Amino acid sequence: MSVAAIGADGHDGVDQLYVETRELRLQGFLLFLISDCVLFSSFIFAYLYLRNSGQGWPPPGIQRLDVAFAAWNSVVLFGSGATMHYALENFKHGNFIRYMWFLLATIVLGAGFLGGQAYEYNHLIFGEHVTWWGSGIFGASFFTLTGMHGMHVFFGVCYLTVLVLQSAAGVYTKGKYFGITAGTLYWHFVDVIWVVLFSIFYLI
Amino acid sequence: MAVAAIPAGGIAGHIHPEPQGFVRRYVFSLDHKIIGIQYIITAFVFMVLAGLLAEVIRTQLLNANGGFVAPDTYNEVYSVHGSAMVWLVIIPLLTGGFGNLVFPLQIGARDVAFPWLNMLSFWIFPVAGLMLFSSFLMGAPTAGWMEYPPVSLQGAAGTSMWAAAIFLVGVSSTMTGINFVVTILKMRAPGMTFTRMPLFVWGQFATAPLLMIATTALAAALAALFIERQFGVPFFDPTKGGSPVMWQHMFWFYSHPAVYIMILPAFGIISEVLPTFSRKPIFGYKLIAFSSMAIALAGFMVWAHHMFTSGLAPFLQVPFMIITFVIGVPTGIKIFSWTATLWRGKIHYTTAMLFAIGFVGLFTLGGITGIFLAAIPFDLHVHGTYFIVGHIHYVLVGGSLMGVFAGMYYWFPKMSGRLLNETLGKLHFWLFFIGFNGTFIPMHWLGMLGMPREVATYDPQFTFWNRFESFSSYLMTFAILIFFVNVLWSIRNGKRSGPNPWGARTLEWQIPSPPNYYNFKHIPTIYGLPYDFSQPLPYKGLEDELTDSPPPAAAGAH
Repeated sequence: MSVAAIGADGHDGVDQLYVETRELRLQGFLLFLISDCVLFSSFIFAYLYLRNSGQGWPPPGIQRLDVAFAAWNSVVLFGSGATMHYALENFKHGNFIRYMWFLLATIVLGAGFLGGQAYEYNHLIFGEHVTWWGSGIFGASFFTLTGMHGMHVFFGVCYLTVLVLQSAAGVYTKGKYFGITAGTLYWHFVDVIWVVLFSIFYLI
Repeated sequence: MAVAAIPAGGIAGHIHPEPQGFVRRYVFSLDHKIIGIQYIITAFVFMVLAGLLAEVIRTQLLNANGGFVAPDTYNEVYSVHGSAMVWLVIIPLLTGGFGNLVFPLQIGARDVAFPWLNMLSFWIFPVAGLMLFSSFLMGAPTAGWMEYPPVSLQGAAGTSMWAAAIFLVGVSSTMTGINFVVTILKMRAPGMTFTRMPLFVWGQFATAPLLMIATTALAAALAALFIERQFGVPFFDPTKGGSPVMWQHMFWFYSHPAVYIMILPAFGIISEVLPTFSRKPIFGYKLIAFSSMAIALAGFMVWAHHMFTSGLAPFLQVPFMIITFVIGVPTGIKIFSWTATLWRGKIHYTTAMLFAIGFVGLFTLGGITGIFLAAIPFDLHVHGTYFIVGHIHYVLVGGSLMGVFAGMYYWFPKMSGRLLNETLGKLHFWLFFIGFNGTFIPMHWLGMLGMPREVATYDPQFTFWNRFESFSSYLMTFAILIFFVNVLWSIRNGKRSGPNPWGARTLEWQIPSPPNYYNFKHIPTIYGLPYDFSQPLPYKGLEDELTDSPPPAAAGAH
């Protein structure tokens, strides 16, 4: 029921809140994700701006990125999005054991993605001598953006690990599980950002 | 009654016990009113520091050859002056300060949506402010408040400190923005529909998304500048393939919306003060409300009008010029609505009202020079001259700061329970008004004659007007000194105000001054706009507010 409708009826309505309800937190969290999205968008703008300002892409002396490996790594990350989705659904339907397994699978896949990224960084830095600071705007934009995304995945994995511990301790109940919702939203957000990053760095 | 139907953890759970002890109550407070006052005090302290820097600038410019400080020091001084006034004074005063203090009361809420987040936003702010001023210790930034590369890339170590400090203020602003949006969307009292919200709330509602979105864009630019300076990662350095113009895009994509962050809440303050002291409904309520939203939205589409001399393609320049002209329309709607509110009103010339009327006049002048600057041919002529300095000070001092003073005289009774002294207040207004115009009007023609900004010396032919400006600015500083004396004196000795000294009609004036920590004993129900001065108050459920009856939670608190 909207607030306006309560007022029009003329009765007292619900006393407003001092506590943070689920609804408030959800909205606040969505707004946080929007502003985080702006952070990525700004760096993506910077990347596209620099990419189109110079001597073609990739700049002379730098090879194209390896699409195949990154594609497999993306599959791992998107798979973790699916498992996270099923984790939340199972929790909502009361299947606690399956929820825990899906959550653990998400953590493993997320860590797998980070491992893949570490392998790729290793290959670029030591194999092709492409570094953050030493390879011009290519290194600057690639390592900053994928590094920022990797940090987000890393914090997500940490957060999901905390969720596992909290869930095992019985913090979340059927009526009170905002922490899990937030984790799921965050994880999907990180997935979507990767779709964009993968497209603009590897495909175009 | 619906109140009785609420289960345990309902009302009783929602009014927390009053915090005891000095630290919980006044230092690490969760109460939006205390946090608002903390913001206001902290921002005024920073205003004193940044104001002293301004006087260093004016003293340097007394003589064509300078000589008061070294040219390099002069660069540091005006850079930190601008940064501090924008990020540590005006924005915190208008959003964290008056926003926190007033708008939850005006929508009939007990607090903002996330009190903890609110406390965190506040405590980041003084830390960031100290970081910014501490940059003097390691060589402050020297490229103005915009810190354009490549100069900012070559600046002293303090430039990185500057970037980190502004980044932190940005984090604080973003959290405030999120908090305010959720509070306004979700915590309005029953019956407080969007078209019944006081206009100050509309001002905050238009500003909060800007805080949330634009500030994050600036954070990206600052982070890039920081890592370029510290780790040599090229973004802006043209010798390594970077682009200095890209900084300008990223910076102004934030900083143009930021000028609306600095003015929309002030519009809100003026829209409260004018009807109250004209004893007339505000003219064009919906137009004022929606034009704020229009300004906020269009504010994202005009950033490149700051960059007409940066080598932008002409086919890009023209749309930016046109959209900038278009922003003049919603702003003009406001000016006309305010003027129409005054028309045939029963005007009470209180100090708050004087500042509000002064705001309307001075902001209009600043707005008109803004339209001049939007025209590309004119901008090419005066870009980087004192015309720009005059323009920005007309909107930021004549606009935002006059709005802040109007708000201070208007809401000081709600903060402290005492009125500010009106005689000192009027002295403050007139000296400030005269000093302000004397300082900034001559800048317009000096700029048109070609006196460049941000330079420590100038052509001797400009000496007379520069001295005129400097002496006027001393007058302005003296006026602000009177204001501080007034505040300090009135906190102890001011006349007691009672709950509603102005006969104002918005919700915050229907409860005691200062309000109890829980704001409202019972959340009121709202039946209409607050501005219909001929009608009874459109609120129900406020009968107990001014009596000695205990709040409902006192009986059932934990």
